[in-house]
Amino acid sequence: MIETKAITKTVSTSEGELQILQPISFHVKAGESIAIVGASGSGKSTLLGLLAGLDEVSSGEIMLDGQPLHTMDEEKRARLRGEKVGFIFQSFMLVQSLTALENIMLPAEINGLKNPREKALEILQQVGLGHRAHHYPNQLSGGEQQRVAIARAFITQPKILFADEPTGNLDAANSDKVEALLFKLNKDNNTTLVLVTHDTELANKCARQLHMQAGQLSESSLREAS
Amino acid sequence: MKSVTLQLAWRLFRHEARRGELTIILFAIILSVASVLSLSLFSERLQQALTDRSAEFIAADRRLNSRHPVEQTWVDEAVNYGLQTAQQVSTRSMVFGGNEMALSDLRAVNQDYPLKGAITVAPQPFASASAVDGAPQAGEVWIDSRLFQLLDVELGDTIFVGDAPLTVTQVLGEIPDAGFSVFNTDPIVLMSMQDLAATNVAGPGSRVNYKTYYTGEASALEDYYDWLRPQLNDEVHYWMSVEDDESQIGRAVARAERYFLLASLLAIVLAAVSIAVAAQRYSQRHFDPVAIMKTIGATKRQIQQIYVLQITFITLLGIFVGAVLGVGIQQLVVTALGDAVEVSLSVWHWRPLVIALFTGSLCALMFSLYPLMQLFSVPPLRVLRRDMNASLSSRTLQFAAAGGAIFLLMWAYSSDLMVSAILFVSGIVLIAGLLAVTMGLIVLGRKLGGGAIGPWQLAWARIRRRAMDNSVQLISFSVTIMLLLVVLVMRNDMIAQWRAQLPEGTPNYFVSNVTEQQRPELIAHFDANNVQHDDFFPVVRGRFVAINDERIRTEVTKEDDEEPREGRDGLGREANLTWDLELQTGNVIKQGRWLDAWQPGMPDEVSVESEVAQRLDINLGDTLTFNVGSEIITVTVTSLREVDWQTMQPNFFFVLHPEAMKNYAATYITSFHLDESRKSEITRLMMPFASVTLFDVDARINQLRDVVDQVSLAVEFILILVLAAGSLVLIAQVQASMDERQQELAILRTLGAKGSLIRLSVVYEFIIIGVVAGFMAAVANEFSLWLLQSQVFQMEASIHWEYWLIAPAAGAIVVGILGALGCWRLLALNTGTLLRKMV
Repeated sequence: MIETKAITKTVSTSEGELQILQPISFHVKAGESIAIVGASGSGKSTLLGLLAGLDEVSSGEIMLDGQPLHTMDEEKRARLRGEKVGFIFQSFMLVQSLTALENIMLPAEINGLKNPREKALEILQQVGLGHRAHHYPNQLSGGEQQRVAIARAFITQPKILFADEPTGNLDAANSDKVEALLFKLNKDNNTTLVLVTHDTELANKCARQLHMQAGQLSESSLREAS
Repeated sequence: MKSVTLQLAWRLFRHEARRGELTIILFAIILSVASVLSLSLFSERLQQALTDRSAEFIAADRRLNSRHPVEQTWVDEAVNYGLQTAQQVSTRSMVFGGNEMALSDLRAVNQDYPLKGAITVAPQPFASASAVDGAPQAGEVWIDSRLFQLLDVELGDTIFVGDAPLTVTQVLGEIPDAGFSVFNTDPIVLMSMQDLAATNVAGPGSRVNYKTYYTGEASALEDYYDWLRPQLNDEVHYWMSVEDDESQIGRAVARAERYFLLASLLAIVLAAVSIAVAAQRYSQRHFDPVAIMKTIGATKRQIQQIYVLQITFITLLGIFVGAVLGVGIQQLVVTALGDAVEVSLSVWHWRPLVIALFTGSLCALMFSLYPLMQLFSVPPLRVLRRDMNASLSSRTLQFAAAGGAIFLLMWAYSSDLMVSAILFVSGIVLIAGLLAVTMGLIVLGRKLGGGAIGPWQLAWARIRRRAMDNSVQLISFSVTIMLLLVVLVMRNDMIAQWRAQLPEGTPNYFVSNVTEQQRPELIAHFDANNVQHDDFFPVVRGRFVAINDERIRTEVTKEDDEEPREGRDGLGREANLTWDLELQTGNVIKQGRWLDAWQPGMPDEVSVESEVAQRLDINLGDTLTFNVGSEIITVTVTSLREVDWQTMQPNFFFVLHPEAMKNYAATYITSFHLDESRKSEITRLMMPFASVTLFDVDARINQLRDVVDQVSLAVEFILILVLAAGSLVLIAQVQASMDERQQELAILRTLGAKGSLIRLSVVYEFIIIGVVAGFMAAVANEFSLWLLQSQVFQMEASIHWEYWLIAPAAGAIVVGILGALGCWRLLALNTGTLLRKMV
């Protein structure tokens, strides 16, 4: 589903070029779940950004569901994201001026899916927030907001789901709920899951873990989950 | 465009409007449309009212003066153009009553006269007069109070005008286009045109002036003039409109119109600044939604469509509400000022509405262009890296778009490149200065902001860190304060100058024909009766015959130009010559030297008023020849004087050295003031001096004072409106900057900083910004006022030191208070809410 070949990321700083990702190559199979773990500043979010097509690689190749992400411009990547990718973020990233229902409808509408409202209502029921459809994000708890974000991510039935610290802002009880929901929907939809986390417990629930350290993904850290 | 983007845009607009997130940008557009509309609508109405008022001074909207009778076809054609007409024939003629006779200013009019203004009549001579409908019928004559004295007649008596016996049926007060001159004003006799032929005064060889009056729609008047112009002969005809009125009133009105224009322009700039600030804030608040939409697959085109549509909805709503509000404000003001200013609401003016709509849409478009482009450039990666902002960042582009839009608006609106350029250049100078000052502040901040952390240090730290943001904020504060200062100071200077023309105690009576013997007696008489009088000026009437021995044509002196340009009549067939060694108040030597340098043995000298010198091509060193009685006086021009014609005192074209005039018997002219309460004493007061000619100019002065009062009131209203608009802009600016401070406040709060520390630091920060903005505004104000007053308003420019202190103080207080209020609102929220708002 995802294949990277020697991807690097270099940024310009006032002190010259800084390589924040050393050449990284790995492969993620369809339906697989992987966790990218590592300390703060190790480059895991940068890697996620590249894999999801939010950012451009400095060198190397990324194939996403057979499509060469590294050759696409932002417009093509946006279309690809809309068709194949879902996102969940630590800070939920809901549009504050839209209701829970409208936030969920948003990707469906943007990508021209049919019956967005019905789909959104259905998935809102699945995440247990049917009664909160017309509430705005700031009227929802953190856990509820993240459930709305999960619903939004799944409405387009993406092939790949990227999650950036999905439970980072939640308390234990809400984290459990969100994790359970995330893995259930992942399984039901046979989605490939790539998540970035500090949380070893969450990482352990993934089939594979990639360890990042100072921009490097060491071979030794790659291991098949039991 | 897909309906889904329309739906999305509409949904975002609806929710955001409901949640108050569009308040600031909507408010800015509403403010711009409402202020521009109400200001220009009111000023259009007021200009109309003032023009109508001024039209009274020529008794019509347009007037054709002619030395020969005008062709009837011209009058008939005017009627075809939908115009109303009236006619007057005037000449100087002797009138006879009983055994007396007097020279009069004879006016024969038809029943339609006057088309504008009114004839006033009094119940008895020298009593106060009131307006009357119509004009004298055939066989009737209405005469000036003075003629009752001079001819020794009463109402109902018959007088002879030329060969025609006419019955005196009214005491004539005023006619609208009497003109105003201290010298040479003969009492007016108003009679019917039907009797003119019988008088035989308008025969061959007599100097007769034929006036045709026109009123009607402005466009019809223009069309008629276009038709008439090819047939006019400059030697014979003179076409006159209200705008040609060079009287004090005409000039006051012209200046007021310029002021309204200026105020409206500044309102446009204020509106533009507020929209710029609001659009910037709007864009920044939408960085996240755009990043989210891009992340979930929205293309740039979709984002563009959604936000352009949203701005369109906002603009349309803003324009609609603004237009309704603008009309409402204007209606309220007209009602409130109804008693003082005769402004009619009956005619609807489309131009202001078009201007307001154009302003609203152009501002919304041009000022949201850059923030929108920035918004479109927000990278999707922002969803992961919150510190990532828009990738497009070009202040030059922003300033160029904003500056270009403002200049275009000002120019399009005023059609006056000069005014627009002056304001624009001042703005640029201000902005350049402010950028330099901001950089200076950063350096200064390092020195002033050292030491342990307290509110003062925090304030400086913020100023330093937010240098670029603060510079934009500083510029918008300064521009706002500067514009308010320009409007305020301009109004003060203008009203002060108007009032100075007519101070309390302005002479309301002039006396002339006072003989040498009468002069001490009259002075003693005035002193005994506690009457304040001016200097006595000697006058000898002389015929101006030659320049450098070359005879001059009397025609060049426009002797029949009876328009109210005080003193001009002195340059007719006869000029009023005076002499003095002291330069009169309000006179300034422009070239040469004053008469007091004359030494015995030198040729006799004269000082000439500079405009007449220019018109007759008189230069220093020229010799002028006057014919006084049977004597010839030849004098050399040694100075050219500028005369302030706006003062209510006798002014002279020619002032001679006393030596040149020592052999001539003069009469004297002076003026005095009599309070309203003592007006009834006038007949008794002047009784012992029956041969002295008395002019009552009270009516004229009151008329002028009325107009000045009305105009001043209107100017004050406009000032208040602009001040209100400016204050709202300041509030919007502070509010916008508060959002940006939210994050920092939340962090400080979370770290346990006391409310008082945060509050004080914000107040200090705003005070520092307010002081700098106020000071820079004062400097820029001085610069633009100097340009405006000297180049546009033809006023004397002066420096206003007081504002160099007032502006920074007011800036500190107002901006500080607004900052404190905004900060209190934020601190009233609990830290959790603050943190959530940051997300």
